[in-house]
Amino acid sequence: MKGKTWLFWGGLIAAAGGVLFQTSYDVQDLEEKLAGLNRKIIHEQESIQVLKAEWSYLNDPSKLEQMAQSYLALQPTEPRQYVAMDLIPMRPADAVPPPAPALPGQPGAAPLPPMVRAPGTGTSQVASARVPTVPNNTAAGIVPVSVPATAKPLPMDKALERAAVVVPASLPSGGGLADPAPRIKPSALVPGAARAPVERPAEKAATDRAAGKLAPNAPTAPNRATEVATRPVPPAAAPVPAPKAAAAQQPYQPKPTDSLGLLVARLGVNR
Amino acid sequence: MSGYDHGGPVGYGQPGGGGVPGSPGSTYVPPPAPSPYQQPPQQPSARPRTSLAVALEQSRYRLLVTAAVVTTVFTAIGVKLAMATLFAGGGEPRQHVALEVDNTTTNRADIIDRNGNLLATSLVTQSLFADPKLVSRPEEAAQKLVSVLPELDYKDLVGKLSGDRRFVWLKRNLTPKQQAAVHRLGIPGIAFEREERRFYPAGPLTSHVVGFTGIDNSGLAGMEQGFNKRLTEDPGTPLQLSLDLRLQHVLKKELTATVQEFSAIGAAGIVFDVRSGEVLAMVSLPDFDPQDPTGLNSDTLFNRATLGVYEMGSTFKIFNSALAFDAGRIRPSDMFDAKNPIKVGRFTINDYHSLHRALTVAEVFQHSSNLGSVRMVQQVGVAAQKAFMTKMGFTKPTGLELPESGWPLVPNPWREVNSYTISFGHGLSVSPMHTVAAAASVINGGLFHKPTLLKRNSDAEIPTEQVVSRQTSDLMRRMFRFVVTEGTGKSADVKGYVVGGKTGTADKQKGRHYQKNSRMSSFLGAFPMNDPRYVVYVLVDEPKATAKTYGYATGGWVAAPAAGRIIKQIGPLLNVPTVDESSPEILNSTFLNAAGSTNWQQSLPPVSAPPPSKGSTVASFPTQTKPR
Repeated sequence: MKGKTWLFWGGLIAAAGGVLFQTSYDVQDLEEKLAGLNRKIIHEQESIQVLKAEWSYLNDPSKLEQMAQSYLALQPTEPRQYVAMDLIPMRPADAVPPPAPALPGQPGAAPLPPMVRAPGTGTSQVASARVPTVPNNTAAGIVPVSVPATAKPLPMDKALERAAVVVPASLPSGGGLADPAPRIKPSALVPGAARAPVERPAEKAATDRAAGKLAPNAPTAPNRATEVATRPVPPAAAPVPAPKAAAAQQPYQPKPTDSLGLLVARLGVNR
Repeated sequence: MSGYDHGGPVGYGQPGGGGVPGSPGSTYVPPPAPSPYQQPPQQPSARPRTSLAVALEQSRYRLLVTAAVVTTVFTAIGVKLAMATLFAGGGEPRQHVALEVDNTTTNRADIIDRNGNLLATSLVTQSLFADPKLVSRPEEAAQKLVSVLPELDYKDLVGKLSGDRRFVWLKRNLTPKQQAAVHRLGIPGIAFEREERRFYPAGPLTSHVVGFTGIDNSGLAGMEQGFNKRLTEDPGTPLQLSLDLRLQHVLKKELTATVQEFSAIGAAGIVFDVRSGEVLAMVSLPDFDPQDPTGLNSDTLFNRATLGVYEMGSTFKIFNSALAFDAGRIRPSDMFDAKNPIKVGRFTINDYHSLHRALTVAEVFQHSSNLGSVRMVQQVGVAAQKAFMTKMGFTKPTGLELPESGWPLVPNPWREVNSYTISFGHGLSVSPMHTVAAAASVINGGLFHKPTLLKRNSDAEIPTEQVVSRQTSDLMRRMFRFVVTEGTGKSADVKGYVVGGKTGTADKQKGRHYQKNSRMSSFLGAFPMNDPRYVVYVLVDEPKATAKTYGYATGGWVAAPAAGRIIKQIGPLLNVPTVDESSPEILNSTFLNAAGSTNWQQSLPPVSAPPPSKGSTVASFPTQTKPR
């Protein structure tokens, strides 16, 4: 009996001691962590301070003005450009509503989902993607650029889809909506060395054809696949035959929207 | 108790030799003393004192002492244990406490402008120092250091590294790259010290206001010096100035252009909020780069806007007219003789471009006539003028927070001749800041606000003092506007902003003489005059006339166009609504004609204005006429 009591108390003491030591080491650990965090905080604060200083330095009005003068066509505002709000007359109630913009070639047709290529038209739908396709009768009193009153607010992802993404006319199907973002396909990456030389002449041809349409100061980067897409394709020209021909030769030909894959191939990463 | 061993009476044992009666180990009871109450059976003397008994007794004593000590110690340990575990609260003190996140890591507060843009901040850098005792081979160490820090001098470095001192700075404020390079060298005895470096993102733009600090981060000029204590005592909260960086930029840009155009030696400019007394922009040219205090000289450091005191010339006619109106004896339509020169002692006061006729008060202001001004002050009197100028703050520093605040040069005694010259702005030298603050009080309804460089809270009460009456202020606004519509300040006009102002040109005094070809040309403008909100002041030091200005370098030709350009650019930034100047509401509050009439509806053509209403901007300017 006595031995058991001793055992009990001894065990209790040992357990308490063990827990105590464990706690002590935990606390020590935490203290070290805290010290490390404090160091990190100080470091972050110092970095923030540096960034603030740099931000202010880069936002110095003298520098901004210099850069605005050399890169922008903007002038300082003048007093005559300001009009008080009450000087603007209200719109007369009986004014004739401006005709809502109709899509070229299909007046009164049901509104197309944005970014889907209109069937039969070879042109890309840059302009029509943003224009609210509202029937004429509901647009009374609403200027065309404003959001129609009946339209419900779109969720974010839908709104993003509605943004003017250019769909190239040469897209083989109307699947621009389905795959708007270029994705790297493993198959597109593998034969890069073989495909890159084939792709270049086609690109060049496209560049040459569209060169006349480009604004003189537009940035030209002939090696970017997206350039093909943003370029206005002349409607009279046949919808770029080169990729199709290339596709006939090369089964691994990526889609023209697969810009990253093209880029990788062109840069010769796999070589 | 085992006291019975000795047969002694229980409880009556006298403690011999220091026994503790209550202690647990007290087993010894000394031989009882003879007691009158009890008769011991044996006399103590009868007991045999054997050696055994002695030994026993001794060991008892020893045991007793040992037990006492042990008890004391264990009691003490027990008490301390209880205190340490039960009453100590949280155990041992924390080694680390969490940082407060909003704390700043630096020891000197930032300075920001009224929109929160950084004007001065402290960045943490590392400085390199050496303990020469620990440097084993100074030549080799110096060689290595020079290879990564080429700006250090080898010989100097060897001298420093082989000295006897225990601490010597090698280079302050290394860049991180340099630090890494030095660190990689691994030279013993060389170490880094965390230091702060003051950095001015706006650079020279605000140099005269913000000032700069020395290498030990103590303020040496500007707000850095004026608020040195505040900046170091409360490093967490930034010091917010009333400056607006955008206005500052516009002001500096236009002043620089003016200085270049007229090959001037300097310029000063101030944008001032007449409603709150805040200085929104203040520039003095030439300025300096506060990052690099090595190349500073006294000319660039000199703040012309606050430290320089100058004879202001014709801009002082603002105060002369306000004094005349406020005295109540003079109305704008009163006529004063501006034909006959005034002789005071050996001096003769004259208008060089005299119109040779009597002028109304409005015309005196319009043409900046010295004679008319003197006639006006003659009616008011010397004492009233002195009291008025004192009220305007022209006899003491402005009270601006900068340490660079100039004392005005006040004539003592203030004689009659002084009062004459002061009436047209000579003989009393004040700083541009004085002039601006006083002029603001003249047009804002008569409330003098002490100028400040600190941003006022929107709800804070602004200390004010009524210095002129509202009626006087109203008349003065019309006079200001009249100068810009039909007087010497036409080139300062900006359509839509109802600008008013007064030009000024003063000959500079070199030694004891006034020089005819070195002058200070200035323009004090305000807008919008129907409800003044901002004063724009431009002062150009020694402008040289150019072909474009037909040989003139007066305030109307030099400073007024610059002020106009400034107003044109800062008006939109300050949210001043543009108005139609010819609308009835505006004319109601700003109209004045040469006859001194404020009634614009019977706006007859100015009765007495001469066909070329072009006087020189300045009385002292020695030529005939000048357009604008």
